[in-house]
Amino acid sequence: MRSKPNKKEMPNGSSKKLKGNQWMWYIFLLPTLLGILCFMVYPILESLRLSLFHTSGGGETWAGFDNYKTVLTSGEFWNSVYNTFYIGLFQMIITIPLGFIFASMINSVTIAKNFFKVIFFLPNVTAIVAAAMIFTFVLHPDMGLLNYFLGKLGLPQPLWLADPSTAKWAIILLGVWHWIGFVIIICLANLQAISPELYEASTIDGASSFQQWLFITIPNMVGTFAFLLITGWIGALQRFNDVYVIGGPTGSPNRSIQTVVAYIYEHGFTGFQFGLASAATYVLFVIILIFTVFNLKITNMKL
Amino acid sequence: MAALTQKKRFYISNLIKFVILLIGGFLLMVPFIWMISVGFSRSANVTMPFPPSLIPKDPSWFNFGIVFENGQIFRAYLNSGIVTFSSVVLGVASSLLGGYAFSKGKFKGKRLLFIVVLATLMIPMEPRLIPMYEMFNKLGMLNTFWPLILPAMVNGFGIFLCKQYFDRLPDSLRESAQIDGAKEFTIFFKIYFPLTGPIAATLVILTFIWSWNDFVWPLVILNNQNLQTIPLYLASFTQENGTSLGGLTMALATVSVIPIIILYLFLQRFIIQSIALSGLKGE
Repeated sequence: MRSKPNKKEMPNGSSKKLKGNQWMWYIFLLPTLLGILCFMVYPILESLRLSLFHTSGGGETWAGFDNYKTVLTSGEFWNSVYNTFYIGLFQMIITIPLGFIFASMINSVTIAKNFFKVIFFLPNVTAIVAAAMIFTFVLHPDMGLLNYFLGKLGLPQPLWLADPSTAKWAIILLGVWHWIGFVIIICLANLQAISPELYEASTIDGASSFQQWLFITIPNMVGTFAFLLITGWIGALQRFNDVYVIGGPTGSPNRSIQTVVAYIYEHGFTGFQFGLASAATYVLFVIILIFTVFNLKITNMKL
Repeated sequence: MAALTQKKRFYISNLIKFVILLIGGFLLMVPFIWMISVGFSRSANVTMPFPPSLIPKDPSWFNFGIVFENGQIFRAYLNSGIVTFSSVVLGVASSLLGGYAFSKGKFKGKRLLFIVVLATLMIPMEPRLIPMYEMFNKLGMLNTFWPLILPAMVNGFGIFLCKQYFDRLPDSLRESAQIDGAKEFTIFFKIYFPLTGPIAATLVILTFIWSWNDFVWPLVILNNQNLQTIPLYLASFTQENGTSLGGLTMALATVSVIPIIILYLFLQRFIIQSIALSGLKGE
């Protein structure tokens, strides 16, 4: 559509020449297109095919929708779905508002702005595997740092990762620590994009800085929150690295932190049930798709 | 009088924010500080230092000595280095070429192909994990670095960034070169490529962090201990020893984290700027 007016402006000769050279552009795109075919299109179709077969040992036998039936009636699968959503939801409820408040403060504080940007973003560049390692010690029930301070403050000292009922919250804590820097940076970038005139006008009208924050800043940040919510959910639904390091493929203790991806890994790569794992993968894929579309709709956002 | 109180209030609110930020920042740093402290604490492999203190009571290089002793950590570094370097080169090259074509090119199916490229951003790793594993298995590439490097060819986000960047560079540069009879590749390499410094730096940093920290895919592909990347080496160490060898684990974590922190401190200006400018935001 857009190229039409350009063609008219151009003299006839060069327009013909461009057409003749079209294939050049495909060479520029060759690595990308080849990669998409090999590492995107083929695997997704193959995964769909695999999900319709029983694959154990070496052979493949037609299974129809058996794998899907097994997955969808499996308590373990739904448990992993529940864990994934639980961890993702609470992590976002905590991190997005907290990150936004910190970002607002960093944005308005007059000294050491860059220092704070560096400090708060640092956890986010740390490999999540290393972060998980550190947190197994921070959250250790007897010798850990967190419980020591909780004890000092006279608060209860949960068993964290050792107890199925608190293990999810241990993971949420790790997630908040790791993700908050990203939330802050994104919020900062968008805070700076809000037109200063809005603030100037309201200052003249006598608004306090808290009122400005409430009635100008927050409404202007809705798009940013939507973005964080959507990328946050896409990330949360794919959660694997830290729960695997801490709880292994089964998400111990007692499957309390097994995410959907860990379930897929458990069946695909420790049990070599590729068909079953592929079916679970497709169910996850559909969940992500529906959820993303739903998120886009309610946040009224175009990607 | 009124002006003075307003000024005062400004200073007070500034001070409060500053203090809250200091406390928040300190809390975020505590796990790092403790990691280093435990790593330097000699007795931590027998009993963790308790009550916890941010300064080790029996400081010693003992744990670090053991971490470096068998050389496995250096090998993991080398492996991570090879994989990351190759992925960065491949990913950045294909992003620049692709972004340039989508920005300056005129060809059939451009819009559709661009949508396809953007759609790859929405496709998670999981649906592709098993088929890609089987594919590389059939090609005899398990326990090689190829499966970790080649998929870097597809960088939807990189292409998107580059397209936006090239859109801002004037077309007139191309047109004058075309009149002189230059071919597309010559135009790209001689005229536009030298101008891609800032966007290339951004892509290098982002790809570096992604590739260096990648975990699931290397975990599936590499079973040979000698090929482990840093995250795999860390994970296997934790799973073998759990929380029994505190000092050693934390020394290892420190050694693994420090390079990326140093890199980050040097390049943080670029990273923060690039994330801010990349369109990685709401509007």
